[in-house]
Amino acid sequence: MGRLSGLRPAARQYGRLLGLQLRVSLLAGMQYRWDFLAQGAMQLVWLGMSALPLLIAYNARAAAQGGTLTTTDISGWGFYPAAVVFGCFCLLKAVLDGAVNPSLLSVIDQIRKGTLDFVLLKPADAQFLVSTARFEPWHVIDAAGALALIALAVHRQHLATGAALPGGLQLGSAAVLLCCSVLMLYAVWLLVICAAFYVVRIDNLSYLFSSLFDFARWPRAVFRGALQVVFTYVLPLAVMTSFPTDALLGRLRPWQAAWAVAIAAGLLFLSRRVWRRAIASYTSASS
Amino acid sequence: MVAAKHTAEEVLASVSAAAPPPAGGARSGDAAPVATTGETAIAVSELHKHYRVYKRPPGLYAAMRSLFHREYEDKQAVRGISFRIACGERVGFLGPNGAGKTTTLKMLAGLLHPTGGRLEVVGHTPQRREVAFLKQITLVMGQKQQLLWDLPPADTFELNRAVYDIPTAQYRQMLGELTEILDLAQIMKTPTRQLSLGERMKCELVAALLHRPRVLFLDEPTIGLDVSMQVVLRQFIRTYNERHAATVLLTSHYMEDVLALCPRVLVIDQGQLRYDGELKALVHLLRPEKRVTVRLSGPVPDVELARLGTVVSSGPNQVVLQIAHSDLRAAVAHLLERLPVTDLTVEDPPLQEVMRDLFARPAAPPAPAPEAP
Amino acid sequence: MSAPRPGAPRPLEKLALSLKAYPTLLRIGLAEAVAYRTEMLVWMLTLTMPLVSMVLWSSAAQGTRLGPERLGSAELTAYFLITLLLRLLTGSWVLWQVSEDIRSGTLGQRLLRPVSPLVVYTAEQLAPLPLRAALVLPLALGLLATQARSQLTSDPWLITAFVLALPGAWAINFLTMVLLGMMAFYIDSAAGLFYAWMGLYTLFSGYLMPLSLFPLWLQKVSDVLPFRYMLDSPVKMLLGWPIAGGARDTALGRGQALTSLGIEYAYVAVLALLVVLLWRRGLRRFAAFGA
Repeated sequence: MGRLSGLRPAARQYGRLLGLQLRVSLLAGMQYRWDFLAQGAMQLVWLGMSALPLLIAYNARAAAQGGTLTTTDISGWGFYPAAVVFGCFCLLKAVLDGAVNPSLLSVIDQIRKGTLDFVLLKPADAQFLVSTARFEPWHVIDAAGALALIALAVHRQHLATGAALPGGLQLGSAAVLLCCSVLMLYAVWLLVICAAFYVVRIDNLSYLFSSLFDFARWPRAVFRGALQVVFTYVLPLAVMTSFPTDALLGRLRPWQAAWAVAIAAGLLFLSRRVWRRAIASYTSASS
Repeated sequence: MVAAKHTAEEVLASVSAAAPPPAGGARSGDAAPVATTGETAIAVSELHKHYRVYKRPPGLYAAMRSLFHREYEDKQAVRGISFRIACGERVGFLGPNGAGKTTTLKMLAGLLHPTGGRLEVVGHTPQRREVAFLKQITLVMGQKQQLLWDLPPADTFELNRAVYDIPTAQYRQMLGELTEILDLAQIMKTPTRQLSLGERMKCELVAALLHRPRVLFLDEPTIGLDVSMQVVLRQFIRTYNERHAATVLLTSHYMEDVLALCPRVLVIDQGQLRYDGELKALVHLLRPEKRVTVRLSGPVPDVELARLGTVVSSGPNQVVLQIAHSDLRAAVAHLLERLPVTDLTVEDPPLQEVMRDLFARPAAPPAPAPEAP
Repeated sequence: MSAPRPGAPRPLEKLALSLKAYPTLLRIGLAEAVAYRTEMLVWMLTLTMPLVSMVLWSSAAQGTRLGPERLGSAELTAYFLITLLLRLLTGSWVLWQVSEDIRSGTLGQRLLRPVSPLVVYTAEQLAPLPLRAALVLPLALGLLATQARSQLTSDPWLITAFVLALPGAWAINFLTMVLLGMMAFYIDSAAGLFYAWMGLYTLFSGYLMPLSLFPLWLQKVSDVLPFRYMLDSPVKMLLGWPIAGGARDTALGRGQALTSLGIEYAYVAVLALLVVLLWRRGLRRFAAFGA
């Protein structure tokens, strides 16, 4: 039985599984209807509030230097480009909180309760099952909000500086880079979850990751010197939000695109290896 | 008059040292006869499992020290177990807590990698976790469940259908059959968190059997259930075994489960196989005595009863005696002829007691509890 | 909790009992904290918000000075580092413990003991403080060793005010978290309330930026809310900055510090009263409805 001939039905089966998992999560989410709307509204409020520092910082700097919002820049980034970065951050956060976190967090729970065994007993890839187990559907609300913010900021930038609106190429590359960012996040998250196999009592890991990810809300030039190197090449936080912004604003350099794709691929590969290693240790060391 | 009692250990040691355990094909016992095809479903040879447990001492000073030097202990969970189970057999695993039953079961299901020995289940190596293998087995754990908590079991069934890639026709047929036997039509549509433990267990079984596995691993499936539900589940497992010629491996603390379902038992203690054979034979080995319950119409002095056998309990009208097999005939004859007996019952001593004797270790200190790694 | 049952300890006896048991409670609390030291360390590492703010603001102030107080990069860096320190020392997450106890019914077991659960909660939250202080020590020393040293005030009055503000900050954190946790007596899910509260806290406590950079009307709002007294005010005391804005002036600064301490402890008193009152009502409801 060749590998390729088994690929199509496998893809179909996994596609069906994914659809089912989504439906299951949606149903479970709908059970608590009030939660859905309330959470969605809460997320939007958070979004507005966390945008505040950006606004006040630029205003303060403008006031101190005697300029206006649109003419001031922090570390070479204007207000609207910084707002686009922030919008990308919110979008990624929505995807993270809505699609990545809930599933992977449930792994920690399953390890503790011992129900991970059931996942390993199923004739489907454990990583896939575990990664699609749960979604929080109300995050589409803040994802939409983030997209609106990005669109608004891009438009304002165009009005303020006369730069061209993003065309097909820019939009396409931005989308690709955002996908790479999501994959990077997923891979790093998976690595973090694998730690739970070895050190069982780590509940706060999810907070740790979210807290680190918080640094991605500012343009990468804001980090100076060594920190910028770290956040571009080691923990690619700066890459995740600043690169797609560069793409949207038409100033993406080829090395950036190549680097983003390379990191995403590399991290995915690494996380898969570590996951398999973690599962191997789980099945050899536990009882 | 009463034969010198050996300790349970000595008896078992002599049994294990003697003839090799009987392979396959169970003979009829208390449980209903089991039809087997003669093929081997499970073959285990010299299975070993040991793992390292790290000690986590309390206190701040010890915690600091453990940063530099971790103390560990090698725990031998399974030490050289061998047995064969034929297709369609129903076998019980007996043993005290920490004996290695669940570990063995998990190795058979592919959830744990053995440290040594050979293992084959329905022709596959479990630890490879091949798709074909996983589709033929199922594991039900009494204290854990795979049902989705917030949704009705029906949704879990649908999910399993997709995961196991069950053809629609087979799915419908199995679902229909299972829900009919277990009477699930109503509770299938209720969210799992609103169901009682018994109802959840029934649905759990359905979810585990939808893909019509050939081998069932049941780890304490009736734990926490009330008596009537236990009976229902036992009956169901037997029905499934008979209908689909599925091999059943059951561990349970409830002797009634084993008594009702498993003609053959494997007794595991401290990682080693102590006994493999008929349950009845085991009881005979350990307690070569019968329990005689006598109803008397008049009082009988204890001294006289003590001459016949050990008095287990004596009430105003009823006495329970424990009499050695060899003396049974004479004792019963004496009872019937000489004493005012209105009713007399002869039976095996309760399995619970036998098992308690078997696992009582007066000399050895209890093993330290392993910590989660 | 009306007339005492015969055999039940009277209020004064209860107090004596609580005092006697307190050292033991503290000891046990510390032992638990040590057992959970990994979790505590990870939790501490998750407090990155001040650092995130610091990164932005030190860049925003690059080459210039912001706001009416003319804050430069060095000042803002010091501000956020001390904010981090303070948060690590005085933060409290007892909300989850309380709401979980109420929801799961474990509160019933706590109520069986002769010492009030509230007292036990305070012990459980106070006990880990030495451990937390030890874990935070590297950061504090690093602060003192680096440039931020020059930012710290040398005025002994202000330093005293800062030290005095610390217990109050911890108390407000603790009491508000207990209050929120007690909402579990009445509503189903604590998560929503917590996020709403954290939102307000983040905005009005100085977590995002020194409050003096807010527009004036927002500053006035933050003055009446309790949040700033947990973070912004004490930090400004240590830095020698005027708490209510304006140019730096020692006498003014001391006066403002005193006012700030006064309002802070007024809040502590009010919150403590609220906790005790609502606790009694909540207990009645708990006894009536069970878990």
